Amino acid sequence: MSSDSVLVTYAAPSTFLSSDHWKQFQSAFLAQLPLQNIHWKSSSRPSIRTIQQVNIKLVPIDSVRDEQTTQIPLTVIERPLLNLYIVVCEDNEAYKNVVRKQIKDWHSSVIQRKGQEWLILYMDRPDTKAAATSFFQVKASVLDKIKADFNVDKRDRCVQVAWSPNFDNPATWADVITKVKEGILSAFDASVTQREEEVKRSENQRQMPGWNFCTFFILKESLASSFEAVGLYEDAIVQYDELEASFYQVLREKNLSWFGTLISPGPNDDSIPLLSTTKKPYRDLILANTISVFDFRVYLVARQCTLLGKMGKVVDVGRKSSAFLSAFGKRLLEAKETVPLGFVESWIYSSALSVVEQCDEWALDLQLEESHVATFDATKGELLELARHQLDTLGVQLQYLPLKSPFSTSSFLSPEQLSRHADASDYVISRPDLVSSLKDKETFYDLYIKVTNRAIERYAKARRRKFALKLHGSLAALDVHRGRLPAALQTFTSLPAHYAPHEWTSLESLALSEAMATHARLEKAKDTEWIHILLAFLKTYVGSSEDELLIQTENNTSYMQTLIDALRHAAEGLDTDLLHADNDMLSVRIHCNDIENAETQDGSYLGIAVTNHLPCDIPADEVSVILTGPESEKLRYSTKIASLASGITTLKLFCPMPSNGTHALDSTEIRISRLLLQRQYRPNGGSTQKPRLLKYLPVLVHVPKDFRSLNVSARQPDSIELGKPPRLLISMSTGRNSLSNAKLRLSSSSGAHFDCKSAIPQGDVISTFELQEDSITLKDTEKDVVVSFLIPYTEAPAFQALTVVMDVEYVTASEPDLTRTLHTARLVPTSLPVAVNVQDFFRGPRLFSQFTVSTTSHQFVRIQSAQLSVVGDNPDDVAIEGCGGTRNIVTVTPVQPGNFLFRLISKHGLLQDPLRFTITYRMLRDEVELLVKHAIDDLARENQVNASDVPSLVDASLSVLQADSSWIEPYVVTRVLRIPDVDVPDELSGRLPMVLEEKSKEPLDEGWREICIPVDIPRMNIIAGARIRIPPDPFSKGGSQPTKPVPLYAGQPIPAELTISTSFHWGGGKESKDKAYRMRFDVEELIKEWLVSGRKRGDFAAKDGETYTVPITLIALHHGELALPKVSVTPLPLGGEFAMGSLALPSTETYQMHGAEKVLVLPRGGRSTFILDMGTDPAP
Amino acid sequence: MPPQLRLNAVAFISPQSHPILIRAFSQSKDEQLKYHYLAHTSLDVFEERVNSGAKATESYLGLLFSMEGAAVYGYITPVKVKIVLALALSDAVVRDADITTIFRALHMAYYQSVANPFLKLHTALDTSGDHTSLMLAGSPKWKGFRRRVDEIGRAAGAPI
Repeated sequence: MSSDSVLVTYAAPSTFLSSDHWKQFQSAFLAQLPLQNIHWKSSSRPSIRTIQQVNIKLVPIDSVRDEQTTQIPLTVIERPLLNLYIVVCEDNEAYKNVVRKQIKDWHSSVIQRKGQEWLILYMDRPDTKAAATSFFQVKASVLDKIKADFNVDKRDRCVQVAWSPNFDNPATWADVITKVKEGILSAFDASVTQREEEVKRSENQRQMPGWNFCTFFILKESLASSFEAVGLYEDAIVQYDELEASFYQVLREKNLSWFGTLISPGPNDDSIPLLSTTKKPYRDLILANTISVFDFRVYLVARQCTLLGKMGKVVDVGRKSSAFLSAFGKRLLEAKETVPLGFVESWIYSSALSVVEQCDEWALDLQLEESHVATFDATKGELLELARHQLDTLGVQLQYLPLKSPFSTSSFLSPEQLSRHADASDYVISRPDLVSSLKDKETFYDLYIKVTNRAIERYAKARRRKFALKLHGSLAALDVHRGRLPAALQTFTSLPAHYAPHEWTSLESLALSEAMATHARLEKAKDTEWIHILLAFLKTYVGSSEDELLIQTENNTSYMQTLIDALRHAAEGLDTDLLHADNDMLSVRIHCNDIENAETQDGSYLGIAVTNHLPCDIPADEVSVILTGPESEKLRYSTKIASLASGITTLKLFCPMPSNGTHALDSTEIRISRLLLQRQYRPNGGSTQKPRLLKYLPVLVHVPKDFRSLNVSARQPDSIELGKPPRLLISMSTGRNSLSNAKLRLSSSSGAHFDCKSAIPQGDVISTFELQEDSITLKDTEKDVVVSFLIPYTEAPAFQALTVVMDVEYVTASEPDLTRTLHTARLVPTSLPVAVNVQDFFRGPRLFSQFTVSTTSHQFVRIQSAQLSVVGDNPDDVAIEGCGGTRNIVTVTPVQPGNFLFRLISKHGLLQDPLRFTITYRMLRDEVELLVKHAIDDLARENQVNASDVPSLVDASLSVLQADSSWIEPYVVTRVLRIPDVDVPDELSGRLPMVLEEKSKEPLDEGWREICIPVDIPRMNIIAGARIRIPPDPFSKGGSQPTKPVPLYAGQPIPAELTISTSFHWGGGKESKDKAYRMRFDVEELIKEWLVSGRKRGDFAAKDGETYTVPITLIALHHGELALPKVSVTPLPLGGEFAMGSLALPSTETYQMHGAEKVLVLPRGGRSTFILDMGTDPAP
Repeated sequence: MPPQLRLNAVAFISPQSHPILIRAFSQSKDEQLKYHYLAHTSLDVFEERVNSGAKATESYLGLLFSMEGAAVYGYITPVKVKIVLALALSDAVVRDADITTIFRALHMAYYQSVANPFLKLHTALDTSGDHTSLMLAGSPKWKGFRRRVDEIGRAAGAPI
């Protein structure tokens, strides 16, 4: 309709026009075109608009007819914007006479034209240049004159162009072009402003009678076209958008009198391209006020989209047209009577496809950004999907497709309208591919699939996965309808995985239920795959509330029941157990406190609540709860059931294992025939799981101790013999069970090995047993007995304690089919509670051994007796005598060790047989435990308490005693146990303290334990007894004995006698007794007390049983009770005959026979006078 | 007098794209399914819009797409909870201001509901900062929130 160039008229003297110069001028001028970058600053617009480029069409002035020839508003550029006058005048006179008038005529004609500018171009002719050089002033004045004559306002509308050989040079034309731009811009601005005012005026008149929307439309559109022509597309679109808005206003006012009918469909209206603005003479129709609303809307959208397309906004084109198609299509359908059947569907279908094609065409020239490409693809996908939805509608009407989701929901038509059956011949459709596909079902399906796949492809490119998924779902639904079940099944089984991650359970469950329905229609065997689908479906069913579920069934409960029954049936047909983890349809809640012992048999009951989230019963077989304890012990609680009713079912689960302690919930299992619904509670992976995501807190269950159950314990045996392989006392108490078979296995995590083969039964053997390499099997054991074995073991590293893991597998006589397992681990301390040190004192043939017993822990140890005995064939060789006789029990505390002294008299010298030190002891703690137990047993005998309560009462009392230590000291001293004044269980509070007190007075002969310690055979080669003897009358010459000891005085030399008697009694073999050995004695120097004179040191030959005597003289240095000096005797390292069979120094012990003697030294009697010179006055 | 809007469905979707509440104001299961699909597919468009680097401060995303007789509008709260509106398509101008008003009301309804301290009862302790997990935890039994949404829906011309 409008050419994209601006009209510029020219005028010039006819002589010039007919000359070659004109042609030269014209070509040169046109070579400068098009005009670039015109900056338009409009007063009505906030920012400067840049017109990228404008073409100029140069026309002679007389070719343009005067305006207002037509009523139809033209675009502003359909009239010339600029009038040029080219002046070629070299001569002032000529100008004055001729040219001036010519210009004046032209000028007066052009200034009348509204919205047009004029410009006088003065040609500076080259051939006049030479002549005019001398008249420079004159020549210049021609231009000046023109300027003076015609420049009426401030603007300079005269421009000079130099005529030069290089006429094409842009520099020559710069001035001219600037002026032309200025002129055009000014004219454009003026015209636009004027036109905008007209539009505004018209718009303001809209309420007045006689106002016509169509006229207004054409007027406003002319503005838009003007903008479009100069490339201001955005401004053009604004015009159309405003037009659209005012159309909607008209629509809202329901004043459509300016239009024809809503639609008067032409024969091909449904299939011609939407975006063509030339497919119909729209403007004429508008002007004639006969355009139908349909055509008008299509034209408006087409114009808008064309402009958007020109701007390269293909995405917007797609969006705009798809929104328009949906919205207007719906409106068309509302006026159904005037629209032929299928018209709207066909129109939307064709238009959508044509828009896609058109956009692709536009996009070819565009370099779209990455993100825009995706959006563009998405928009095309939407258009294609829109087209596909039309096929849905048609298909449903033709009954090629079923009247149900997803085919029926996408239509604008209501389900009632859709259900009206139509025949292919009823449609008035011109699009060939549609027409042909409507006739034939298969062709229709092909088209359907083709369009859908196109849309999917677009969506996939646009990364719109969810749109694509939806379309895949619809294709699968088509497959179902067409009976292509395997393909449909495949799609439906793969779809849920896409909905599951974001927990879109509604869509997931739908796909799953479709999958199941397809599966059922396929009549495939209900195999593992089916079970998985069903379980996934049930999970989503449970996960969503009733009304959010989109599955269409009449009766949910019965539907579910059939599903569940089928599940059960399918599960029965499985070959192997099928494990299904983390199922939500059944949840198990542990009642942590509701755990109790079975009482009548070993094992415990655990209360749980199972919630069935389905509306129907589930025919489950078994419910199990697995707890894990320390040492990877597992307890499996289970119960058989027939079915789980909907809602909460409280169950009691039984575990026959006689275990106790704190256990953590590991997993739950619910068995439906061979299907196992499992749920793990243990955090697997541990650290890999973020604590944020920890779903369940650990559930702890404390299994109470059952005192009547089978129990096995390990401890150190009562009698420990050091130096022999260590042994462990394993006792198994049968409790309430009479066992038909029990197998005990021992192992240790710390590397010890138990030698079960050489186990020694303890006590009365009350059952038959077999000893294997690693286990002990007991048969037919009565109840309430304790079977104990001493089992030797080898301990790899010498730890303080030994970990013993004991597994007992046992079968009771009452339940021969049930094998119970007891798994316990015990830490048995292997260190001795006491430490023994021995010190030997040799006195001639006698030996005194002192044993110091101290406790190694903080515990008090009560020692009943300590004995030293000879182990061997000749116990008579030595006489051992303890001291103390019948001593009371000695209590060894951490601060006070106990001492035990023995005297040994050996007949034949060195002992041949080993000695053994035996202590009978018990820990104070064990003693008190026994005491309490006896006391409570007594109470039980008196029927004060129930016999069955005894163990728990003992436990309770002991824990009271443990909590307080104030009773210990009084008990050790007085042997009366007073239970501290703390809470004692009610039934005990009265009697127990009394009974305890009584009981503690009676001797308690139980629980004594023994440690046998082999004692080194004492051996000493030489025993020397040194003695310094001061005779009773040292000064008398004769041998008469004085009746009174002679007093000794300080400073007085006292003759004394040193005797050393040596004995080889403890030295070993008989032959050595005959030998002699050279020894040295040395009297100790006590310089403050004694002066020793005589042989203070000397050597002598020592022989068994002989005494060596040497006289010495002692002088006491001061008075007092003085101890005599000590004598040391050491063997000399000499060889030869004195060596006692070996070169090593013989062991020697010297004792001072006079060690305890003291000598009373009196002060010296008499007087001594000393005269001292005072020194001041010397005597003459 | 602006044309009466007809609200057909509302969907709240968590930042992790989990559905919080999908409320289709229709009794027909087929229709409900349609809006579930629309809500689900709108996630793609949300992603597109958010990734295209549009103004991050703008919550209202405008018309997402129109399909199957519904115009789908999107709104994303500052903490990335997505709200989807499906209006019945009509051949009339729908003013963004109207839609924004509805969205604001829905957003408020969401906040009022999430402020319920009892929602935290059944969630793990360490998820306290993330309120959408609360929503999911309580969603099926979430009467208060549903009631508020229904009220807004009624005001916006939903056929309840």
